[in-house]
Amino acid sequence: MIRPLDPDLDLTISRVIKAPRSAIWSAWTDPASFEQWWVPAPAKSKVLEMDLSPGGSFVTQISENGGPFMPHMSGCFLAIDHLERIVFTNSLVGGWRPAESPLMTAIITLRDHPTGTEYSAHVMHKNNADRKMHEEMGFYDGWGTVTAQLAALVERRA
Amino acid sequence: MGQYPERLDGIFQALADPTRRAVLGRLAKGPAGISDLAKPFDMTLPSFMKHIHLLEGTGLIRTRKEGRVRTCALETKPFAVVEAWLSAQRAIWEARTDRLEQFVITAQEKDKKK
Repeated sequence: MIRPLDPDLDLTISRVIKAPRSAIWSAWTDPASFEQWWVPAPAKSKVLEMDLSPGGSFVTQISENGGPFMPHMSGCFLAIDHLERIVFTNSLVGGWRPAESPLMTAIITLRDHPTGTEYSAHVMHKNNADRKMHEEMGFYDGWGTVTAQLAALVERRA
Repeated sequence: MGQYPERLDGIFQALADPTRRAVLGRLAKGPAGISDLAKPFDMTLPSFMKHIHLLEGTGLIRTRKEGRVRTCALETKPFAVVEAWLSAQRAIWEARTDRLEQFVITAQEKDKKK
């Protein structure tokens, strides 16, 4: 597949996970499992819609500091290749309807590896100007988003 | 994280606390008075003021007194220090992948024990 890389807007995370593809696939596609790792604790994630088919709706909410659940991910699956690939975007919502604030498309790939599974996430962003629209952590404002992103960094440092 | 200036250490410290993050989240929607900001938290005003002073000290917020009311507002400059927006996105996805890996490994171990 042609997948030109834009170093300013794309990122790729690649990791060998010592587990079979089926285990990772199930962690991703079973909503109850997905909710347990999608957002950093103590925040909580709730899957409202996870229709695993092209055009299928993908909607999650987040609750921070024990507060009410707020919109988090609102998107649509573009491709679902069983045990191999999940492609989703927030540029579209369920049924391929154009979204309010398109920002990114993510391609999750699972490949067999001698010690488990090579898991990779390739995330393509629209442009940096749009980042203020990003509601990644449930805030409605650009600076709040940056704050949340910093908090995520803090979590990694801790 | 080596590309970040030292100044970020203070910012990270300020952000490591859920109360302070909540205050910043609230101020992201617009300036607010101290009493309004303190309302959602179950703590004394002096304790709450410590959080405000710390945030002010790192330059994340500025406060201004008008009459008897002290208003807080988000200071946007420190956030501009973090220019590497994509790095922040990467950190989110790295952390997410860490958690997925942890989840899968833990689930596997549980299955083995059964």
